[in-house]
Amino acid sequence: MTEPATAAAPAPAADTGARAIFEADGIVKRFGGIQAVDGATMSVGEASITALIGPNGAGKTTFFNLITGFYRPDGGRAVFAGREVQGRPPYMIARLGMVRTFQITKALSAMPVIDNMMLAAPNQPGERLRNVIFRPAASIRREREVREQALELLEVFNLAKLADQYAGTLSGGQRKLLELARALMTRPRFLLLDEPMAGINPTLGRRLLDHMQRLRAEDGVTFLFIEHDMEVVMNHADRVIVMAEGKVIADGEPHEVRADERVIDAYLGGAKVTPPGADGEGASE
Amino acid sequence: MEAGTLGAGQERSLGERLANLVNSVNDAPFGVKAAAGVLLLDLVLLLADRFPDSALEWVALVAIVAISIFALTALERRPALLAVVVLLNILAMLLMLHDLQSVSQRGINGLSLGAIYALGAVGLTLVYGILKLVNFAHGEFLTFGAYMAYLVNVTWGVPLIFGILFAIATTALLGVALEKLMWAPMRGRGAGMLQLVLMTIGLSFLLRYGIQFVWGTELRQLDVNVTDTVNFLDLRIGRTQLIVVVVGFVTLVATGLMLRMTLLGKRMRALSDDLELAEASGIDTSRVILWTWIFAAGLAGLAGVFAGAVTQLQPELGFELLLPIFAAVILGGIGNPFGALAAGVLLGIVIEWSTFFVTPGLKLAVGFVILIIVLIIRPEGILGRARTV
Amino acid sequence: MSDPLSAFHLAVSFSAFTDIDFWTSVGILAGTYAIFATGLQMNVGFTGIFNFGQVGFMAIGAYSMAILTAEHGVNFWLSLPISILIAIGFGLIIGLPSLRLRADYFAIATIAAAEAIRLVALNARDLTNGPQGIFGFDNSWNSVSDSIEEFIVDLGWTDVPSLFPLFLVTWVVAIVLIVGFSRIQRTPWGRVLRAIREDEDAARALGKNAFSYKLQSLAFAATTGALAGFVLALNLKFVVPDEFQPLVTFIGYVVLLLGGLANYWGVVVGSVILWTVLEGMRFVELPLSETKIAALRFMILGVVLIGLMAFRPQGAFGKREEMVLGD
Ligand SMILES: Nc1ncnc2c1ncn2[C@@H]1O[C@H](COP(=O)(O)OP(=O)(O)O)[C@@H](O)[C@H]1O
Ligand SMILES: [Mg+2]
Repeated sequence: MTEPATAAAPAPAADTGARAIFEADGIVKRFGGIQAVDGATMSVGEASITALIGPNGAGKTTFFNLITGFYRPDGGRAVFAGREVQGRPPYMIARLGMVRTFQITKALSAMPVIDNMMLAAPNQPGERLRNVIFRPAASIRREREVREQALELLEVFNLAKLADQYAGTLSGGQRKLLELARALMTRPRFLLLDEPMAGINPTLGRRLLDHMQRLRAEDGVTFLFIEHDMEVVMNHADRVIVMAEGKVIADGEPHEVRADERVIDAYLGGAKVTPPGADGEGASE
Repeated sequence: MEAGTLGAGQERSLGERLANLVNSVNDAPFGVKAAAGVLLLDLVLLLADRFPDSALEWVALVAIVAISIFALTALERRPALLAVVVLLNILAMLLMLHDLQSVSQRGINGLSLGAIYALGAVGLTLVYGILKLVNFAHGEFLTFGAYMAYLVNVTWGVPLIFGILFAIATTALLGVALEKLMWAPMRGRGAGMLQLVLMTIGLSFLLRYGIQFVWGTELRQLDVNVTDTVNFLDLRIGRTQLIVVVVGFVTLVATGLMLRMTLLGKRMRALSDDLELAEASGIDTSRVILWTWIFAAGLAGLAGVFAGAVTQLQPELGFELLLPIFAAVILGGIGNPFGALAAGVLLGIVIEWSTFFVTPGLKLAVGFVILIIVLIIRPEGILGRARTV
Repeated sequence: MSDPLSAFHLAVSFSAFTDIDFWTSVGILAGTYAIFATGLQMNVGFTGIFNFGQVGFMAIGAYSMAILTAEHGVNFWLSLPISILIAIGFGLIIGLPSLRLRADYFAIATIAAAEAIRLVALNARDLTNGPQGIFGFDNSWNSVSDSIEEFIVDLGWTDVPSLFPLFLVTWVVAIVLIVGFSRIQRTPWGRVLRAIREDEDAARALGKNAFSYKLQSLAFAATTGALAGFVLALNLKFVVPDEFQPLVTFIGYVVLLLGGLANYWGVVVGSVILWTVLEGMRFVELPLSETKIAALRFMILGVVLIGLMAFRPQGAFGKREEMVLGD
């Protein structure tokens, strides 16, 4: 289980017409009077890199919370790899291989960086009490493997030398990277990233994007990421989905979406013009 | 990764089935849940008391159950009215099983207990809502008030009315002093929830045993007439108890009006709603906070005198009342003073009525069970607004 | 007025500071609270759940053992594991509904649950014999205690305090628990607990069933609560409701915080310091009545708690980086 999955990665990479790994149909969420997500429908192709964009308050973060089990939708269906996921608890969805990060980073501050990483590894028998007591050797063996993987991944994100520091001592950008690296430790099939580039420096941002491309190409990992930087979206996404006021208003290749009237309206029509990357309103809690 | 999904697969079957079960219960139509709730409640009441023994009683039972379910279903979106329906359901059941006289006799006892709870709860909930402070020392405000009244009324031999005023004033002063000495500085440092809770527990020790240090552990009695009774419609009501109920309710109504009508009351509620928003809109929050302490502590002092008047004074007087007061705060929705007022009174009545079924020593346990049940089915409280997540 | 400390009332007269009987009793007290607080440490220091009902588990453990042994003739040694299982069962019953709640609600729900247990113990006379309590469950223990005493006498120490065997057993249990808990905390299982303490949502997003881990943590606390209950019962030789006031949990928190959070050995430090100071005060001659001195001791406890939380929230010996309280 240490080698990257191959059986699960048959997808022809850049083909946006590939079969969908994830589909959402009419997802609805109300908060009191606010219709935060209002019948969002979309599908995400397997092994694609799809961007989810939209003005502040469009409901993107809420949509993530709904499909990863953090909120219960008031209506609609979400299917990942042939399984309905709406209404399941977050940990089950994560174990299916659908893993998300948070807009407001959730570094586990009072734990060392390496523990943050090792925590995320799947199939650790030592996370079960009875294995801890009756099969300690299996747990220790797995720990060794996991530690190696964690250090490799930290290397990619320039965090290896901080491995033994408490995560709370990291800078904001480093925490963002740590959260990403941690999500990758779970060996996800489908990674949902809520504004992954926000607050990290451009060089590391590039590295991150390269790494995403490589994971997609080598392991067939699918990405859905919320992003405000149009440059990044246009250059790195195979497809772009646009949300506004809780609905999906456009969906297509980057150049198509860029020309779409409705998208321009959504961004410029409303009173609130969104400076790219300045979405500070977090609803991830 | 394949192994990852496999490993999860083994566990999913059971966990998933459990989750589905929980969801299907959650997703059941409200009518079904209401019917199940009423049937369960009334069955418990019958089991604890007795089953109907005449055709007439059976008819009454069926009518009570049917009307309750119908009323609950009709009022789905009005949690406060739902609580009233549940209370009326219990009342109807009691009237069916017992006589009007004994039900109202205990109802009156419940009113005086409820007045004390409500007076304690309204301040606790405001402090909780505004300062996010779970104040375990609130019970000691009651004790402090009671002993202050004792000082004036018994030690100095002055009529109790002055004792009451003195108790309110000194307890309010204590509240203000503690805000200045402890809570304001701790807020400035951004102290965490548990940190503050433990400080209030420490403070509760200090006050309770400070009182014990000065007055000892012996039971003390305020100079009130505890034997005189007033007869009213076949009910025997203690004079002191009657005074507590009347003065208590006048105070409660006045408090409610103050919160609804006056600028200060509106500001208190605004702060309780959203402290930062209130601050941003230019309210002088530290002044409102100070007044909140004056109110919270003053009302607690009054409640303490009442509690001391209908029972006896001892250093644990307030601590013993604290948990039911917390129950009223949570039932009423944390930070909602009107909710706390209503829930305090309701809780007092239900607790006294519960003595139809359990020994009086267990009536508080009934209160805790109610609290836990409400926390399970509606953690935002009966009168609280639904919060998300 | 009940004073749980007087429960451990020391029938010995202690004119000398070096009175070995007296310090044996204090040692048992400190050991009891170390056991009691080890579970609290797992909850508060490592899982971030604020269990304020620990004394309820202590009550369940002590009562189950006493009732099984004295009323139903169950073998004393067999009654211990059964009682632990009963306490764990209560932990699950209390935890299932309430662990989903916000931290502050959970704290209040657990304290209410523990009080409900005490009130039932006080009123369910058929089961618990009400305020009079239960006696006569410790015959098996007494014979073991006697053999330990004989063994020590044989070693050459002739005036062994009669409570010395209990002192030994208490501290063996405490040390074994602490070593065991410390080890289990360093496993991947323990790492998940710490992750939940830091951020439950992050743990859930990484595939951890946070709720199940919190329940397990509570079950561990129930176990140590029950064990502390056994020691308490053997020490007093009776089990009465008054021993299980919320105060006991609060003292457990003082022990926990004095020794520092997120370190199991801290509870030993905290408990030894607290009880040495509180009981050592008996040697300070004060011109005060018995009640006043008892009150003074609790006032000091309050001041210690306030002071710690105001100035050293990580506890007297806690690690600053692993500070669990505050932000
Ligand atoms: N927990 C919540 N409670 C109430 N309103 C919420 C909550 N989460 C999000 N919202 C509201 O839902 C809308 C969508 O928010 P969000 O999903 O964060 O937008 P985006 O991520 O696209 O900027 C906003 O109006 C926000 O205020
Ligand atoms: Mg967002």
